[in-house]
Amino acid sequence: MPGYDSIHQLADALTNERYLVDEGLATVVFLALKLRKPLLLEGEPGVGKTELAKALASATGAPLIRLQCYEGIDVHHALYDWDYPRQLLQLRAGGSAALYSEEFLLRRPLLEALAQPNAVLLIDELDRADDEFEAFLLEFLSDFQVTIPEIGVIKAQEPPIVIITSNRTRDLHDALKRRCLYHWIDHPDLQREVAIARARLPHVGQQLADHVCAFVHDLRWLDLYRSPGVGETLDWVQAFHALGHYEIDAKTASSTLGTLLKERDDLERIRGGNLDALIAQSATRAQELRQGGNYR
Amino acid sequence: MRFGEQTATPEQAIMSAAVGLARALREFGLQASVDAEHTYLRALAEIDTRNETQMFWAGHAAFVHSPDELEVYKTIFERFWEGRPLIHVEGGSEHGESDARMQGSHHGGEALPQYGGEANAAAPLDGERQRAAEDIPTAEGEQGTSNQEQGVLAAWSSEEQLRQREDMEYKQDELLALRMLAEEIKRQSPARRSRRAKPSPSGRRFEVRETVRASMATDGEAFRLGFSGPTLRPRRLLFLCDVSGSMERYSRVLLASLKAAVGAARRAEAFVFATDLTRLTKTLDGRDLEMALDKARAAVPDWSGGTRIGHALSEFNTTYGRRGFARGAIVLVVSDGWDRGDPKILETEVRRLQLQSRRLVWINPRPMSVDQQPLAIGMRAALPYIDDFVPGHDPRAVAGLAQLIGGLAADRPMRKAVPDPPPLY
Repeated sequence: MPGYDSIHQLADALTNERYLVDEGLATVVFLALKLRKPLLLEGEPGVGKTELAKALASATGAPLIRLQCYEGIDVHHALYDWDYPRQLLQLRAGGSAALYSEEFLLRRPLLEALAQPNAVLLIDELDRADDEFEAFLLEFLSDFQVTIPEIGVIKAQEPPIVIITSNRTRDLHDALKRRCLYHWIDHPDLQREVAIARARLPHVGQQLADHVCAFVHDLRWLDLYRSPGVGETLDWVQAFHALGHYEIDAKTASSTLGTLLKERDDLERIRGGNLDALIAQSATRAQELRQGGNYR
Repeated sequence: MRFGEQTATPEQAIMSAAVGLARALREFGLQASVDAEHTYLRALAEIDTRNETQMFWAGHAAFVHSPDELEVYKTIFERFWEGRPLIHVEGGSEHGESDARMQGSHHGGEALPQYGGEANAAAPLDGERQRAAEDIPTAEGEQGTSNQEQGVLAAWSSEEQLRQREDMEYKQDELLALRMLAEEIKRQSPARRSRRAKPSPSGRRFEVRETVRASMATDGEAFRLGFSGPTLRPRRLLFLCDVSGSMERYSRVLLASLKAAVGAARRAEAFVFATDLTRLTKTLDGRDLEMALDKARAAVPDWSGGTRIGHALSEFNTTYGRRGFARGAIVLVVSDGWDRGDPKILETEVRRLQLQSRRLVWINPRPMSVDQQPLAIGMRAALPYIDDFVPGHDPRAVAGLAQLIGGLAADRPMRKAVPDPPPLY
């Protein structure tokens, strides 16, 4: 794994993976790498929490190991299990191999992350798991080791880079937060969002990307029930591109708005309201942006 | 080791400053533990300590644990970066003094500068305040058309209603019923089936893993079959309580009830509202009732203010609701439904709340039928979307609550398909 000497070097590496970070996020990721502490990411849905782990894995050339959390997840899903059918066969066939040995051990994501040097471990949506699982994670996160009764303690040679995401459906325990670096990812500002759109969708014209991003940016100020995230912005850009449009027009916007807004009341409000004015306003802003003017 | 100012090499100066930052953050209620301090010091070795942005975000990563803490952190960090005193301590320098944790009065929050709570902290809880309607300016910008506002206000100020209101006797029963609320919840806390199963001989689910594992001991013959059964866990209880002017006589008992409920149920969340919404779960989560009540009163900026139920519920739906606080929860709204906002907004928001919740219960402590309440336009608007309406002044009705929500009884109630309300905008 390449080490990064500076925050900027790391930011550049992530940019090469088409993931654009601001200095705040870059600093924290840099520290997570240097201090080898887990990084707890929170933020609105669609701001790229999960994407960061993916980008980091491909930037460092490390394998990405993902553990999706859900209620009732336990050691057998997260850490290890025994391959009972094979053990049974072995027993019936009168084989001599020890039944509780590495040979019959099934590695689940957490164990896998300890076995592979410098892996990037993504523990996704931890808030969906229950308290018991969170408590179980504590030993893993502080020492990067786990205890399997039949085998003993397994410790990572090179601790994995751990990224934990949470949507805050419940408050995580303080003991867990204490072990992590914390970062709140906000919606990007307009220029950054345009840059993200351009990086992610290089085949799409600048004009369309500018216009859509400016439009979405205005929407976020409207106090909607559910504001669109970056993911939805990209979907909408692609929708226009797929329909062969180079800028937003009211008719197409109205019919594709469901890509962006997923709440009936929001849709009604934008469709029934001053869609034309919004489009015109964002067109002006996109133009200002292109001329390098003051876009705020 | 002490970080005295005389011995300051650059490293030590930075270290002592960083420790001072952590100490100040602790004073302002952030969880700047010794661990976090250690993390920050290690982080400082890795970053450019002359770069404000990097210093800011490194400290943020170490000390901040929730977006709510960002503002406090920003303020303190700004002072820190500009080298201004972090904590206002009379006659003391910042560093090299004895540990800040020794200054006992700074803990517990009451001696600290409050964010906007001070003016209200002195307001009496049961005292005679001016009528809420007089506290609140009439037109309130973005919500509702002025026609509707006028209609509501006209009803409010009519002589007859005033007399009716004053005639209402203070009935012991009302409060008794509210007091019972917590007892009822304690007696039978709601539960739900968990996705986590546990081994159980009488369970229904066949467990291959358990069976095969058991048969290892008998040379691979499965003599004993393993089964597992479901487990129960507490269902989330969500209180949304009205503490506006018209609810004033109930609010003290209500809060005491809330406190008991939050203490009793492992997963209870308490919010109160008048015009705006305030989360009280953490505030009420202490031992001492009086202290908790005082803190709660200080924490609610609009105590005994006017009511905009729709607005408050909208605030809940767009913040906590989106984060899933009401998902699968039993939501108990305690309010008399006297609403000064736009009933259409209330209607939309109550409907949204119902769709998220397992069961939406509305407890109205005011001993009147809904039709008699001229101001309960809001109540009437909300009624079609409420699963259970409980007259809160009636002890029998409150006792019936346990049956509604207790144990596993809180099934998703049959809901008639209610037509969507007309578009808002």
